[in-house]
This record gives sequence, C-alpha cells and structure tokens, in this order.
Amino acid sequence: MISFEPSEEQQLIQQSVADFAKSTLAPRVRELEKKRSVPDDIRRGAHEMGLGLMALPERCGGQGLGYVATALVEEELGAADAGAAFGLPGPGAFGRAVVELGTEAQAESLLSDFSGDGGADRFGGVAWSELAPCKERSGFTTVATRIDGGYSLSGRKAFVTNAHVADRFLVFAQVEPERGWAGIGAFVVRKDNPGLNVGTRHDTLGLDAADFGEILLTDAKVAEDDRLLGGAGGFTQATMRFFAKQAIVVAARAVGVARFAFEIAREHCDTRKAFGKPIGHFQAVAFALADRHMDVESARWLVWKAAHAWDSKAPENEALLATAQAAAHALEACMRTADDCVGLHGGSGFIRDLVAEKLMRDAKQLALCCPTAEQLDQVAAAIELGIGLDPALVLPTPDTQAIFT
Amino acid sequence: MIDFSLSKKQKEIQEGIRSLGKYVIRPMSLSMDRNKEVPEPFLRNFMKLAKGFRSDDVVDPIEEGVAAPERDPSKVGETNRTSAIAAEELAWADAALLLSVPGPGLGGPPIRATGTPEQKERFFGIFKDMHKGPLKWGAYALTEPGAGSDVAGIRTSCRKEGRGWVINGRKCYITNGARASWNVVFATVDPAAGRAGHRAFVVEKGTPGFEVGKIEDKMGLRANETAELVFEDCHVPEENLLGGEAAYVSKEGFMTAMKTFDNTRPLVGAMALGIGRAAYEYARDFVKENYVLSRPVPRYAAIAERLAKVGRRLEAARSLVYRATYMADARIPNAKEASMAKAAAGQAAIFSCIESIEICGAHGSLATEHALLEKWFRDIKVYDIFEGTGNIQRIVISKRLMNGLKAF
Repeated sequence: MISFEPSEEQQLIQQSVADFAKSTLAPRVRELEKKRSVPDDIRRGAHEMGLGLMALPERCGGQGLGYVATALVEEELGAADAGAAFGLPGPGAFGRAVVELGTEAQAESLLSDFSGDGGADRFGGVAWSELAPCKERSGFTTVATRIDGGYSLSGRKAFVTNAHVADRFLVFAQVEPERGWAGIGAFVVRKDNPGLNVGTRHDTLGLDAADFGEILLTDAKVAEDDRLLGGAGGFTQATMRFFAKQAIVVAARAVGVARFAFEIAREHCDTRKAFGKPIGHFQAVAFALADRHMDVESARWLVWKAAHAWDSKAPENEALLATAQAAAHALEACMRTADDCVGLHGGSGFIRDLVAEKLMRDAKQLALCCPTAEQLDQVAAAIELGIGLDPALVLPTPDTQAIFT
Repeated sequence: MIDFSLSKKQKEIQEGIRSLGKYVIRPMSLSMDRNKEVPEPFLRNFMKLAKGFRSDDVVDPIEEGVAAPERDPSKVGETNRTSAIAAEELAWADAALLLSVPGPGLGGPPIRATGTPEQKERFFGIFKDMHKGPLKWGAYALTEPGAGSDVAGIRTSCRKEGRGWVINGRKCYITNGARASWNVVFATVDPAAGRAGHRAFVVEKGTPGFEVGKIEDKMGLRANETAELVFEDCHVPEENLLGGEAAYVSKEGFMTAMKTFDNTRPLVGAMALGIGRAAYEYARDFVKENYVLSRPVPRYAAIAERLAKVGRRLEAARSLVYRATYMADARIPNAKEASMAKAAAGQAAIFSCIESIEICGAHGSLATEHALLEKWFRDIKVYDIFEGTGNIQRIVISKRLMNGLKAF
C-alpha cells in the first residue's frame, strides 16, 4: 500500500545523519570549498558512522540497507554540502559499478577493505567519460587490447570523481572497436599499476570539496580477472543499472540541495521587507516559492519511489523507468530551486557571504554527475516505446553530453 | 514503511475500471460528448459495478444515511488513496462521465462535515433506492457571476423570515446543478460581514422561487451538465439551513465551504492525471506505430525527449496526489498538500494534452471514436480552473509557507 512513512530504523538513520550533516558539515562548507577537499576529522566521523557503506551488500562489508535508506541519507548530506557528499570515504560510484558489473567474488575482493580500519582514507573511482567523442568510429577512444593473461589499456579518461585520492578505478575501454558501444568493457586498474597516471584536477563550477580529474593509461596491464563482464542481462544492462543507482544517489543529493535552497529562500522572503511588508507577501514571490515547494516535494517522492522499485525488486524496466523519471525531475527541480533561491535573494544572493550562490553552482554541477536529464529522458522514452535499450542511445556516452562519474 | 505499490483491492479496482473504460466507455465517449448526455442505462449499470467504491469517496465513506462508524486510530484506512486511483482510471476512460455519476457529488462533503444527523439522513437517504427509482444527484453551488475564486465576495443573499429563509441571487457553472435533487447553496446575511455572514442551505428541487437558468455550452466535458441557478425570493425551510443555527455561532461559517476542498482537490488532481495519461499514452502509441524509429532521424530524439518530459511531469504530479491522499487517510491536515496536488496535476495534464497533440501532428486533432485526443485537449483545461484555479491553489500554498500571510 502506498505509504510515505519511513520505517523506525530508517528514521533513526536519517536523524543521525541529519545531526551529523547539520553539526559537522554545514558550518564548514566554505572551509571545505577553499580546501577543495574533505578534512580528515570529517572523513573519520563519516566512516565511523558507516555512511559510505549503507547500500553496499553485507557480503562486501556493507550494511545492505537498500536504496530507500540511501536516498534518505543522501538527501541529508546534500542539504548540508553536496560537494562533501562526493568526498566522504567509501566505495561510492566504484562500489555501485562493481556490484552491478562484477561477480560476487570480484565484488567481495574489491570492496571488503572499505569497511574496517583503513576505510576512512579509502576511495574508488569510475573512469567512464572522455574529453571528446571518438571521431573515427563509435565507442571509446581508450582501448583495451588483449595480451597474454589479460589486457593492456591505453587512453585518457576524464571527469573521474576522486581521481586523486582513489586507490582503484573501474576503467571503461573499447574491447571490440568494430562493435561500437556494444563492444566496451570494464577493467579494474589499481593505483600501483605502472601504466596508470593521474592527470590534472578539473577546476569546476561547483561541488568544490569533491575531487574531479583525469587519469591517463599507458599500456596499463591488467589481469584477466580484473575484467568485469556484467551481471544479469549482459553488460549494457548491468551498466544501465549502475548508472540508474548512481542517478538515485545524485538525485537524492539534489533533493537535499533543493530543500535547503527552498528553506533559505523561504526564510529570506519571510523576513526581508520591501514596500512595507515581507516580500513573501507579494504574489509574484509567494507563487514562485509555492512552485518550488511543489518541485522539491515531488522530486523527493519520485526518488523514494525509484529507490523503492529497486529495493522491492520490481521488474527491471519498471525500476529503470522510475529512476529515469525521478532523477531527471529531481536534477531539473534542484536547478530551478537554486536559481530562484539566488534570484529571490536579489544582489545578496550573488555574494559569497551567503550560501545561495554555492547552491546554484552545486545544483548545475550535480546535474552532470550522473546521466543528464536529457540522457535519462532518452532512457525513459526507449522503455516506454519498447524499442530495446541500444547502448549508444541509453548509456551516457561522450557522444552526447559527457558526465562526471 | 515507504511503499509505492497498490494494495490488492486497489489493483483490482484499477484493472476493473481500465478494462471497462477501454471496451465500454471509450467507444461511446465521443457520442456522449456530441449528444451532451451520458446514457441512463449505462449509469445504472455502472453504479452496480461500482458498488464498494466511489471515485468521489473521501475520508468518511459512510453508507448513505448511516452515521460514520467509529474508526480505530491505529488502523489507517486507504479510502482517499483508493478513490484517487479510481478517479484517475475513470477520468482516463471519460472524465465527463465520472462527473455525471449519480450521488451527492460535491454536495456530499459539506453535508457530511456540518450537517445535523437529521439532515444527513434526509439528504443522503434519497440515494438509497436509486436502483429502483429514478437516478438522483446532489450538487454544490458556490460560484456566482461576480464571485468565483473570491468566495468571500458572494452576493447571493439570505434573510430570516418567520420559520424559514428567503434566498435571492444567482449561481453559475454548477456541475449537475439542474438535474440535482438538492443543491448546497452558499449565501450571505450581510456581504459586509465576510465569512461570518455566510450561510449554507440545502435547496431542494421544486422549492418555490428556485429556477434553473441557462445550461452552459462548454469547450469540453460536454457530456456533463453545467447549470445556472436562479433564486428569486426562494423560500427555504429553516431545517434546510446546513448544520442548524448552532453551526454559525462561531465566525467560521465560511470554512464549511472550504473544508470540502481539502479532500476533493487531490481527487480532482487525480482526474486531471487520468486525462493527461490518456493523452500521453495515445501519443506514445502513435509514435510507436507511425514513426520510423529504426531510422536515426535527429528529430526522433527530440520527440522521445518530449514524450519523456510529459511522462515524468505526470509522474511528479501523481506523487503529490498520492502524498495528499495518504495524509488525508492518516488524518494529517493536508490543505497545503491538497492544493499542491491539484495545482501540479492540472498543469501537468494540460501540458500533456498540448504536447501529445503536437507529437501526433495533424492526426492529433482529428475526432473519431478511435481518436479522442482532441476531446481530451478540450476536456482538460477546466481542471486548472474548477475547484480553485491554479492561482488560487498557489494562494492556499503560500499562506501556509509564509508566516502571518492572511491575504495578498
């Protein structure tokens, strides 16, 4: 039966993360922004709470709490500092990708050391995007060539989250050049691989506390077992699932950003006076707030619905469709809300004394940290039209908008 | 626990109405629209089928004429959610038909909320034997030529005369107003007194001084009757003053009119979504059948994106409808959420109908029994108008967002 009531356990988790976000993250957002990283003590606190391990299956050292619980937690983090949410320790996107694309044994061996003592400093990364589309053929420019006992990877990947702090990457590369986007593969490359070099760190619009950068592969040799072949439904389907779950996490953070932007905008309109009354008592202002309130609330419910679809093992296309709709809506709703938040503040919204301008930059950057609304719309339409999930169409390839992973 | 799946009963109702809609209602949808009438034999059959649920059921689904049973507060019912699901499906089939289903209609909630036990018995009692006798409707008459959204501005007057009341004025755009056995009519003892001056009466058909005026010729929902009501020295007995004199001692008389809407607005939102979804599905299926999807035409991606945008906007609005009805079922005050649901759903559905016609091109504007898109396009607009326009919903929402905002 339709219900909007989190379970008692979920409420407890949500509350403790909300406390952490409010007391630890929120007061320090500008400090994190300047440092362009998440300080040691915050990372340790988050690790002790097991923040990065919630959705991870128990066999991999996670808590196996599912995506509804994750959505609740990520919204709280997003409402404090969406940038920090990317820089908290844990397997993050790497974990989600490995769980979907690897075998159980691969997932366990690649993820189990994220829990426990060393976990507070451990990161993984997913190297998916490239700076430009391949002009000669479709597919990635980065190639994986078969060698004795494994593969050799060469190429340049971009927009990789945690590029400079991760000690292991999942690198997507072209295995069969003639098969285009159906011929790609995923390979685990470790930091100690002599063929792996971390490139420049991207200077980004927002999410300053998070680290985004390039990685360079020059004849990086990996073993046969370092290739992840994709689980149920094949490689494209598994990659879709990874991006869908990534989208839920990012969308939940976007709901958090939107919620916070709405709250401070509402507060401002309640107290700022013009022409003898609070500006929120003018219809043009109040109606904008009403519209953004609808945006924030509906975005949250759709993210919950998508998360619930995965947790309750709904048919895969149903869960993919719910996710595509939820994330596309949440990312756009977040941008609209942050935009209005700055606008309703007027000039002060543009000044860095207030957090409004940061929220607006973060909102736009967030919209590029998972498949974009445009890409998700193509996924939703493909499912609704029953035209088969062509990887060139439904994967967020650099042929269209490149995304951060 | 957070959950978005339907209960077994809800699924059955959804599937039942869907197949009735597809095989029985839709094939006659256009002729009903042209004849401006829902055939009586159909309504009779439909009411038999619909026993056990009604799409306009709200929190207190009492059997007509019987007092509401005591509720166990630990057991949250699902009446409002179920009604929303039923309303969406039935509107998906034909929205005008839904509005024409016999019963108290919008007149039900104010009588349930404020009527005396005797009034409930008398006014709901007439619906008990509909299966044997003629079909009956109730209606809700608030809007006037000079006051719609601004309910406080109604000018229809009422004055006490002996043991009764005399009403003078006009009401307009009243759904089922002419065929109704009774109308809940709002009038004022003193226009200067605002809401404290308001009184609600149940005016029965045939009351001296009460006449039906014009039956409106509308853009959409043509199979449903919209009437003008005229009151000229209309004498109403005092026992038809809703709730009796005692109900108006406080200054909250006006709230009777408004309370009705907290629970019906999400349902109107659900109806809008039914129409919006019908249009969306039509366009989606049209694209499937008529676009050469195998060819990499760049325009195809644009069409896909348009479809997806419609789909997710409907879905977002539906989440607000479910949220508002969930709160009603859980007995959490939901005035703000009810307005959000209606505001979002009305506009999402209008967007859907406009985009869907565009996607189908010229085909989209043809009218045949198999192509109802142009009809839905005509039907939908009023969903952002009746039961509070989109702007009125935003006023309701704003007042609950801003501190100390009483009026603009």
